[in-house]
Amino acid sequence: MPRKVAVVAGGLSYFSKARRDKTQEELAAEAARMALFDNDINLSKDDIDGTIVSYFSDHFENQLLFGSIIQDYLGFNPKPSVRIEGGGATGGLAVRDAYAHVASGLLDVAMVIGFEKMSEVNTAKGNEFIALASDTDWDFPIGGFYSGYYALMAKRHMEEFGTTEEQMAMVAVKNRNNAQHNKFAQTNPKMNPYAMKDGGKITVDDVLKSPYVAFPLKRLDICLMSDGAAVMILASEEKAKKITDTPIWITGTGAGTDAMRAGDRPRTLSGVPMLPHEKKEWYKELEYPGVHSFRAGRESARQAYKMAGITNPLKQLDLIELHDAYTSSEIQTYEDLGLTKYGQGGKLIEEGVTALDGDLPVNPSGGLIGAMHAVGATGVMQGVEMFWQLQGVAGKFHGSDKTQIKNAERGLIHSHAGTGTYVTATIMER
Amino acid sequence: MTEVYSFDPLIIKTPYEITYKHSYGKTTKFFTSLSDGKLMATRCDHCKQTFLPPRSDCPYCLRETKWVQISGKGRIHTFTTLYFSGEKFLKDLPFQLVYVELEGVDTLFLTRLKTKDMKKVKVGMKIKMKISRDPEWRSSDIWAEPDE
Repeated sequence: MPRKVAVVAGGLSYFSKARRDKTQEELAAEAARMALFDNDINLSKDDIDGTIVSYFSDHFENQLLFGSIIQDYLGFNPKPSVRIEGGGATGGLAVRDAYAHVASGLLDVAMVIGFEKMSEVNTAKGNEFIALASDTDWDFPIGGFYSGYYALMAKRHMEEFGTTEEQMAMVAVKNRNNAQHNKFAQTNPKMNPYAMKDGGKITVDDVLKSPYVAFPLKRLDICLMSDGAAVMILASEEKAKKITDTPIWITGTGAGTDAMRAGDRPRTLSGVPMLPHEKKEWYKELEYPGVHSFRAGRESARQAYKMAGITNPLKQLDLIELHDAYTSSEIQTYEDLGLTKYGQGGKLIEEGVTALDGDLPVNPSGGLIGAMHAVGATGVMQGVEMFWQLQGVAGKFHGSDKTQIKNAERGLIHSHAGTGTYVTATIMER
Repeated sequence: MTEVYSFDPLIIKTPYEITYKHSYGKTTKFFTSLSDGKLMATRCDHCKQTFLPPRSDCPYCLRETKWVQISGKGRIHTFTTLYFSGEKFLKDLPFQLVYVELEGVDTLFLTRLKTKDMKKVKVGMKIKMKISRDPEWRSSDIWAEPDE
């Protein structure tokens, strides 16, 4: 039987388009120091038994085996360490791996260290490096890159279900405006000393008037590219109870996969992996997953819900940190996570269900659009945010009480790679 | 000499170049067939699936696939117009990418759409694949054009 596993601490760096004031390892130290010293815990650095290091690309620094540099810089030698990489889902996979290390008894106390420093190359080169995480024989040589791939999927979602550019813009507004109460967020110049100067609140009109990057996606529909780090500390039940009075338990985790080239995914009728609250007849006309839905996201959620005993996610979850690489993919993911029927994701944002004051707030932190996307740190940041939310201390860390979801007891973190190639879903509970 | 970008903090510029010797393995035939004007896909008779891009091994049953010629005619499944791209393709902007449903192929194929009127492009529009006479031995050697 796996052991119970809790999150006991979290820390973040400030996120920025370019943190040229620090090296990558110095950014990791910034987040690790917060995890160790700013959480209410009875734990010293020496109590950490090993680390899980989470970063996406060796290309940004032109340095392989960076995990070893981190392990040394943070002073964890000669303890065990492993580097996890899985594109955009790197962070979620690292959290899941740390869970497995502690659940299995391999480690009693594990630190997850996520980071990325994307500013070492220019933005177009950064996009190209990320595009190398698509098929470089077929999809990249024709000029493919991620905003293009997501635009193709978004257009098909619009065609299939009637989703609109206005609905997508509402996601951008929600996430960007949530970020204005989170001091770590890259778009928050009032609270983050390293923020972009042209950040701040936006309106649906601002999004619709921002220039197209890849029709139907506009500049403000697309996530940030960031420098920064995030650190979580996980512990076994026995240790967790000594470390903190308010451990946050990991009660479910799931992981799914799909074809690297989205066009290779099947389009079969009745192909939807079903969730407990769904009915087969809802989807008898739907070709699935095609390029409009993320089968890996659905599969990861199905596993996590089963493990955590969730039969109706909209009712049983209090908040979600969701990998909003694009406004369209947040809408698509609402459906994969079973928050609404396939095809109804656009209506969910329109009805305000996922707003800060809605029934199920999504991305109170601001997510990847409002707060950050420093790839290897992203999924770990979600874990830190969820930990603070469930402990009820988000306001203290964010520097504003507005983002704290009142009486939050259970939440989901969703980490997503490629065009939905690797996806993880993890449930955390008070 | 090292180029200095900034002195505080000290930031230096470090160029890096590499040339790969990349083998297409058993999918070589796809590229060599283009010289004969033929568009080839692979098919698994056991699973009754035809793949483009070609797969030498069927992902459903892991049997070896066989080569089949396809017409290159089809329809647009979805499209985008790009106004930004990775560094390598900035010079081509703006351009259009499409997923196409090709006759006799079960997968969707991602390719460029070359058209005189980008505004007229619609989901469901008929297209025909074209083959470059000046091969670069990349997937960009084929593209879609409206089939009017």
